[in-house]
Amino acid sequence: MSNGATEMLLSACSQFLAAYAPFDRMEPEALRFLAEHVKLAHYPKGARILANEMGVARALYIIHRGQLRVKSSADGTGNAAYASVTLGPGQFFAIGALMAQRPTSSAYVACEDVFCYELPADDFFVLTQKSTVFNLFCTQHIAGLLKQSQQQLQLQFAQRAAEQRTMNSPLAAIVKREPVSVAAEASIRQVVELMADRHLGSMVVVDAGEQPIGIFTLSDVLKRIVLPGTSLEQPISAVMSPAPQTMPLAANAHDAALAMAMHGIRHVLAVDEGGRLKGVVSERDLFKLQGAGLRQIRHAIDAAGSLEVLQHARADVRQLSLTMLAEGVGAQEITQFISTLNDTVTRRIIELNLDRHDLYGIDWAWLSFGSEGRDEQTFSTDQDNGIVYICTDIMDREQTQWRFLEFARDVNADLDTCGFPLCKGNIMASNPDLCLTLEEWEEKFAQWVRTPEPQALLNATIFFDFRPLYGRFNLAHRMRLSLFRQTQGNPLFLRMLAQNALSVSPPLGRIRDFVTGADRDHPGTIDLKKFGVRLFTDAARVFALARQVEATNTAARIKRAGALMNISPDDVAASLDGFNFIQLLRLRHQHFEQEHGRAGDNLIRPDELNEIERRILKEAFRQARKLQARLKLDYQL
Amino acid sequence: MTWLSRLFAGQEAPDPALTARQQQLLANWRQLPAPDMRRSHYRCRYVVVDVETTGIDVKTDRLCAIGALAVVDGQIDFKDAFQLVLADAVPSAAGLAAERSGAAPVDALLAFLDFAGKGPMLAYNVPFVAAMIERTLAEGLRVELGLPWVDLAWVMPDLFRNIDPAQGGLDAWLSHFGIESIRRHDAVSDAYVTAQLLQITIASGARKGFATPASLLELEKARRHMHQSG
Repeated sequence: MSNGATEMLLSACSQFLAAYAPFDRMEPEALRFLAEHVKLAHYPKGARILANEMGVARALYIIHRGQLRVKSSADGTGNAAYASVTLGPGQFFAIGALMAQRPTSSAYVACEDVFCYELPADDFFVLTQKSTVFNLFCTQHIAGLLKQSQQQLQLQFAQRAAEQRTMNSPLAAIVKREPVSVAAEASIRQVVELMADRHLGSMVVVDAGEQPIGIFTLSDVLKRIVLPGTSLEQPISAVMSPAPQTMPLAANAHDAALAMAMHGIRHVLAVDEGGRLKGVVSERDLFKLQGAGLRQIRHAIDAAGSLEVLQHARADVRQLSLTMLAEGVGAQEITQFISTLNDTVTRRIIELNLDRHDLYGIDWAWLSFGSEGRDEQTFSTDQDNGIVYICTDIMDREQTQWRFLEFARDVNADLDTCGFPLCKGNIMASNPDLCLTLEEWEEKFAQWVRTPEPQALLNATIFFDFRPLYGRFNLAHRMRLSLFRQTQGNPLFLRMLAQNALSVSPPLGRIRDFVTGADRDHPGTIDLKKFGVRLFTDAARVFALARQVEATNTAARIKRAGALMNISPDDVAASLDGFNFIQLLRLRHQHFEQEHGRAGDNLIRPDELNEIERRILKEAFRQARKLQARLKLDYQL
Repeated sequence: MTWLSRLFAGQEAPDPALTARQQQLLANWRQLPAPDMRRSHYRCRYVVVDVETTGIDVKTDRLCAIGALAVVDGQIDFKDAFQLVLADAVPSAAGLAAERSGAAPVDALLAFLDFAGKGPMLAYNVPFVAAMIERTLAEGLRVELGLPWVDLAWVMPDLFRNIDPAQGGLDAWLSHFGIESIRRHDAVSDAYVTAQLLQITIASGARKGFATPASLLELEKARRHMHQSG
């Protein structure tokens, strides 16, 4: 219907819109389409124009007149940075919710009489196709949200890191647990038992007024009790160091460090105004505060002469990863960093064990598989390793393997001690099936490729991501070449592997935005490993094997194979962004979980993410879907 | 064709000047059900009307233009709008107009009826707007509109008692609510701003318990009664 009245109203509407970006740059036909399809609606003061409870966003709202307030619903982090924003004429919402076809998590409330032009969702999507300007704007809008989210994450971590790192923090902030103290009359036996029981490095002796009168430390046990043969029934006051160094709770960490250096002591006692004991600050506490740099950690690891030092180094790796998160380092760099330092720890453990195991004269290499093989380790990771060696004389084979297994058992145990739990699936070098000669490995791989039954395909997803860690790297290279020869000769294998990769779909629903029902024991959650990173790593593995890309790292595989597959650099970058975002969420989740004393799992609750994160996560899953679509196309699945 | 329709229409034809098609359209309109005045504002179609005339005397002045907009379920759709400019209102067509003695073209009036349906109708200053439109329809189509009219000039002072733009009329209301005209005194433009006032009115009405067209009419009746007796 075209008449004078409509023409007049449309041109007035277009004129209004054209005064604001991005409509000012929009193509005339697209602008006309927009004006033709909007409806003008009115909302009185206080009305909720759009809110979460209204369900999936059904229209784009462009404010014609009046002001409204955007109220961010609680996003779980208590972040109030963008809790309240006011929108006025020419501004619009909620593009993110519309594009993701899900409810908005903010509430849009009219501050006065508000008139909005409303464009129904269907027409909105037509418009994004009609107008390149508008399309670009919406895409950039989403990209902007991504940046915003990263900044938010950084802010969150920066605060935490700052709390933990500063040497200016008062002792009150450093002292974590209630001090344990004993009276001067307590027997040495009682004190030592208590220390052993509670894993204490020191014990403070107090008088009736809770004022410290002495300190007794573990190192005193040897010098003052064992060597002189002191009776354990004597009172502790006989062997304690009297007049310990005390400092008020308000003193800062720096003061404590200074006092320790000046008096050559390892403990400082924090006391309140009444001189009563409130806590013990150790040298180690202060060392943690200072935070170790990457170079110090590497240096410490390389020079480590005992497992104890390596255990500390592992803790430092965690601390530094946290700092890196705070500094806004991307997930890819962090996972690679964790892998690198874990490699260093592993190498040092291997070296320490080589002192005790003679493997001289044999060519061999330590291999890592799975996420470590891909350089994608997160905070919680168990062992996935194996050994390849050359056996020149078949008669020596059994004997040689036995020596390697002995060696591997020790290394696996030491790795466990240093925070890499033993692999539940026994994917470890101490497993005779994974401690093989080059020929055996080649045969094993060939077998899986020739008969791609389910178990073989599962093995492929773990073992084909192998990477040498120590020893003769060229052995691993020969394994890789042999693997490529096999996969090129068996097109069926790649097809089956692709099919296997497609067996898990991105958890995106048709109606609700996320599918969270996959795990019955944990309703409302998404396993970001199984339904997140694996989507990317599985697709990338097929791409890499098909194009003989040697890399094992998922990002590197997608980049290199993508170039050979004529995937545009933009698309490659988009899928890497998606992959990295999921990894970032995993890292953050694991960190918080472990901080609260739980085993770091990969189960996140979409409901607990904020609006922006949910949008981006959804986009990340869409990127995974794109990779899967490519697999379907390539293998006609 | 006129003679043919006359032949067939016989005595029942209300106006022998109409063609069969025109009579059919008129009959269609007559058969539309009366508006359900008890439905919510947000479930009905208000027809908001304004006029341009040669002057302010209902008896002697003539209608120049009608502008109308629908407010459907509380929203304005620009495609659902109507404009009728009468020939004698256009100076360049004055010669032609004189010959037709100001009668509105039948098809245009039928189009208006088609757009309006059975209302409810709404205007600012109904006694004038409705009289002008009803007289024109009676002259051109011999049709009696017979639809309920809601007058914002009566309803709004009651719903917005703390505001008193009574002296200023429509302009005062527009400036109070910050509504800008495209071209003031153009029938379409005035109908558009009136429609926006209606949106504000029904939102306020709904909050105060006047949730239907019928309740607005009752409000208006009570106020008129008070004014007459007071």
